[in-house]
Amino acid sequence: MKTMLAIISNALCRITGKNAVSGSRCDLHGLEAGPPVRAELTREQGLQYYRTMQTVRRMELKADQLYKQKIIRGFCHLYDGQEACAAGIEAAINPSDHLITAYRAHGFTFTRGVPIKEILAELTGRKGGVAKGKGGSMHMYAPHFYGGNGIVGAQVTRKPVDCIKVPTTSIHS
Amino acid sequence: MATSLRCFLRSGKRAGLVAAQRGFSRSSAAAVQVNVRDALNQAMDEELERDERVFLLGEEVAQYDGAYKVSRGLWKKYGDKRIIDTPISEMGFAGIAVGAAMAGLRPICEFMTFNFSMQAIDQVINSAAKTYYMSAGLQPVPIVFRGPNGASAGVAAQHSQCFAAWYAHCPGLKVVSPWNSEDARGLLKAAIRDDNPVVFLENELMYGVPFEMSEESLSKNFTIPIGKAKVERQGAHVTLVSHSRFVGLCLDAAAVLAKEGVDCEVINLRTIRPLDVECIEGSVMKTNHLVTVEGGWPQFGVGAEICARIMEGPAFNYLDSPVTRVTGVDIPMPYAKILEDHSLPQVKDIIFSVKKTLNV
Repeated sequence: MKTMLAIISNALCRITGKNAVSGSRCDLHGLEAGPPVRAELTREQGLQYYRTMQTVRRMELKADQLYKQKIIRGFCHLYDGQEACAAGIEAAINPSDHLITAYRAHGFTFTRGVPIKEILAELTGRKGGVAKGKGGSMHMYAPHFYGGNGIVGAQVTRKPVDCIKVPTTSIHS
Repeated sequence: MATSLRCFLRSGKRAGLVAAQRGFSRSSAAAVQVNVRDALNQAMDEELERDERVFLLGEEVAQYDGAYKVSRGLWKKYGDKRIIDTPISEMGFAGIAVGAAMAGLRPICEFMTFNFSMQAIDQVINSAAKTYYMSAGLQPVPIVFRGPNGASAGVAAQHSQCFAAWYAHCPGLKVVSPWNSEDARGLLKAAIRDDNPVVFLENELMYGVPFEMSEESLSKNFTIPIGKAKVERQGAHVTLVSHSRFVGLCLDAAAVLAKEGVDCEVINLRTIRPLDVECIEGSVMKTNHLVTVEGGWPQFGVGAEICARIMEGPAFNYLDSPVTRVTGVDIPMPYAKILEDHSLPQVKDIIFSVKKTLNV
């Protein structure tokens, strides 16, 4: 988070509006090439990620308040503090890639495209919710987003096969 | 001599005190209010003390005093070797518990809720339930699997399932489902002392409910026989059979119906497997009408089994109308409160079913 903010502030100060982010080289097994060690973060991207994270933070703080008022019932696993994970992962994948997570799912629900209104409506059990109020905190779904899983460990083996790329050609071709 | 006699005759209060001091029998023992959580806690405490092979393992049972505080104080009293915190891996620690039981210990394996037992169900069924039979009696598995079962409040589909029918389907298991504090205490002690694998289905919403317990039920060797139901309320017109939290709802419905002249007999199953069919049959042969009430889903459930068994036995000829099952709605538990409230039997549903059965 700190490095991210430093990078963003650096980026904002620069005239060119771009900044380079360096990663470290990793060991490979069974792969020809690893992830790139350099990436570019533009001012617009930095601000977009920041906006995403701030939105999730504000949404979760409100959900916290609603939970304490008992307007949200049952379980409410909050995502404030972890926003960078959802924002970062979403920055690295495409909307057509497949994503699944455990019970702390509000952040990914937002980054996968569900509007705040539908998330909060779901948490408060309203029919305008993403699951029409029937799912609750842990059971929110979106295209290419498989929830939200209440049982610990369920998401590990339930991940869609070929979660990065779904093959379009027949195996017999 | 004469003076002491006069003293006795003068004040009846003193005479009573003297009688008590001399251990003469008194009319009624003082009843104590104990909630289900404390009843379970005391039962485990006493069994841990009685037999050093007994131990408790599960998530948060030790340092956190139990996810629902059922094992409060036990870790402080018995230490790391008897009260064991496990990682979040039901398949792992259920397997460890079954292995310990096979090796000669008497584990109590706590599932935070029985929904999580689905992760470990292979261990419960294949490793625990079937082993005594598969080994032709060589290898007993004296284990208790306990935890809250069924719907709670607002915890949605994956955390609200009732497993009574699932486990009661399997030979090799005993399945008990207590309602009040006396049931909880007596059945847990019996389950721990039983040499068979016992699935002990508690209910989270009942943990904080206080019940009066007699002195006899608070004694150290008080056990309730597994496989025997209890008639909680005598009646003449209709038999209501239920287990766990819904026994309370049946009694509430019976109170309302009594004002309208309908006399309900309420049976608390206490044990799901083996089912006390004789008790239900005896009651049906008296009242001629039967309504079953449960929180689980209707298909292939506890009520369905009761219907089949009644039909197969002598009580069938005494039925004046078909049996009615009052069950949870046949859907995964919804999250929204208004939907959740309507997905489980309420007192009004029981009353409606009784009136339909009696055609009043």
